[in-house]
Amino acid sequence: MDSDHPFFFGPGGELFGLYHPAPSRANKAALLCPPLGQDQIRCHRLYRQLANALAAEGCAVLRFDYYGTGDSAGSSAEVDWDRCIADTCAAADELRARSGVEHVVAFGARLGGSIALAATKRARLADVVVWDPVVDGCAYIQQLDAMQAALRQDPHRFVAPRAVEGAAAQWLGFAISQRLRHQLADLRPDTAGSPSLVLDSLPPTPAHRWKGLIAAHAKVKELHPFTPWDDLRRLEQAILSHPLIQTVTSHWQGGH
Amino acid sequence: MQEQAFRFGRARHLVGIAGLPPAAQGTVGVIVLNAGLVHRVGPFRLHVDLTRRLNACGYPTLRFDFSTVGDSGASGESQSREQQILADTNDAMTLLRRQAGCTRFVLVGLCSGAQNAHTVACADDKVAGAVFLDGYAYRTFGYRLRHYLPRLIDPARWRRLLSPHRKSVEKIRGEPVFSTVPSPQTVVRADLAGMVERGMHLCLIYSGGINMFFNHARQFRECFGRVMTHPRVSTCFVRETDHTYVLVDDRKRLIDQIEGWLRNNFPIAPTAAAPLRRAELEASP
Repeated sequence: MDSDHPFFFGPGGELFGLYHPAPSRANKAALLCPPLGQDQIRCHRLYRQLANALAAEGCAVLRFDYYGTGDSAGSSAEVDWDRCIADTCAAADELRARSGVEHVVAFGARLGGSIALAATKRARLADVVVWDPVVDGCAYIQQLDAMQAALRQDPHRFVAPRAVEGAAAQWLGFAISQRLRHQLADLRPDTAGSPSLVLDSLPPTPAHRWKGLIAAHAKVKELHPFTPWDDLRRLEQAILSHPLIQTVTSHWQGGH
Repeated sequence: MQEQAFRFGRARHLVGIAGLPPAAQGTVGVIVLNAGLVHRVGPFRLHVDLTRRLNACGYPTLRFDFSTVGDSGASGESQSREQQILADTNDAMTLLRRQAGCTRFVLVGLCSGAQNAHTVACADDKVAGAVFLDGYAYRTFGYRLRHYLPRLIDPARWRRLLSPHRKSVEKIRGEPVFSTVPSPQTVVRADLAGMVERGMHLCLIYSGGINMFFNHARQFRECFGRVMTHPRVSTCFVRETDHTYVLVDDRKRLIDQIEGWLRNNFPIAPTAAAPLRRAELEASP
């Protein structure tokens, strides 16, 4: 039987969380920051497996949904970058209160990694591990726009192509506000909140891609096989990675 | 109204989110089942949007994860998957009965969720209605005519097939598929007839996303017989949409349709719904 506990927390009880207590007194606390959109649904299983693995190692863990995502209050069109960062701060405080551990580390995949980095100071995160974080907001927007354009014409999904207007203002199943588009366009590497570990499972690109994101002490570890984040044919397939779970768990066991 | 999170079930192994508006006695509870392995929020958050809309109408709802799916664990029992589905859904009904006083339930399921809703609807008298989204479907003679005939008389297709310069179609490497054998058509047809005979209301909404099995509204009757024209059965085929309703407006239309069907077949007593709608209006931006 699982002992993780589902609950609502935060301002107005609007945020959904699942707390995984450590089997005995926790020596560390880990906050798992989810990605946004379809990446969040695809990573749900992996986040649960990672939370269980960390909890088994004596780490108290909190998974949560930002406002407008998952089981939290709000609609998908209301997802807002600043609110995501505020929610991460609220989640870190909630984790401290539940675990009694002040030292909180964070993990995030894709935009979840970008949010964790942006929230590092405000949420008083002692360490951040990121997996294929989004560091170039404009390129990311272009990629999602291109995928959305392809999706509405996908013969494997629709009997006939759908009209442009019927697929507008949304990315891969989720309504997107203009405000979020603008916020993501401003996304740049945040050197103020450097991760100690970058897990890289993107197709090969020049090694300098992470320059500016990572501090001198940070490590980059490649994971294989590559993760099909941007493959439309796999849009509704779960993303699982046992190497990732092992790497993150052993990284934080090692004293980070 | 604020939703509530629960860990519940015979082994406290299930996780679900209940929406509990003030409900009049006799109001049905709506339980939304997992679509495949997607956790309780549903594809593109469909289940969240659906349950919140129904809550605003006054229906208590529960979206939850079956054993070992999403955030739910294993019950530790030695059971077949079908036994687990029946027991888990019974646990879900017990929760909604305790929290909202519901004694009758409507199940909503997409794809494998529809098949699971079918399984429970066959066996559990507490089920008063079901919404099957892309549920059981079988290729009929009519399906084959509609599928192959246009292809046979399409000269462009013949030109492509006979061309010496025909491009070989890129084959996508087969992904591992884990699936169960669907129930035979005769069994499903008898099941549906039995459900209607027992007084259940059924709503079947099928999409163009399953056009490898289903391609016309007529196919409901071709597959399942005369019971599809019974007044307690509602059917709808939406050719243009995909299997998981990836476009926002398609999801909205689907939710509109389910809400309309529920209001018609399981109307809410006005005393419970009216104050809630006022509260919702005041809360809206």
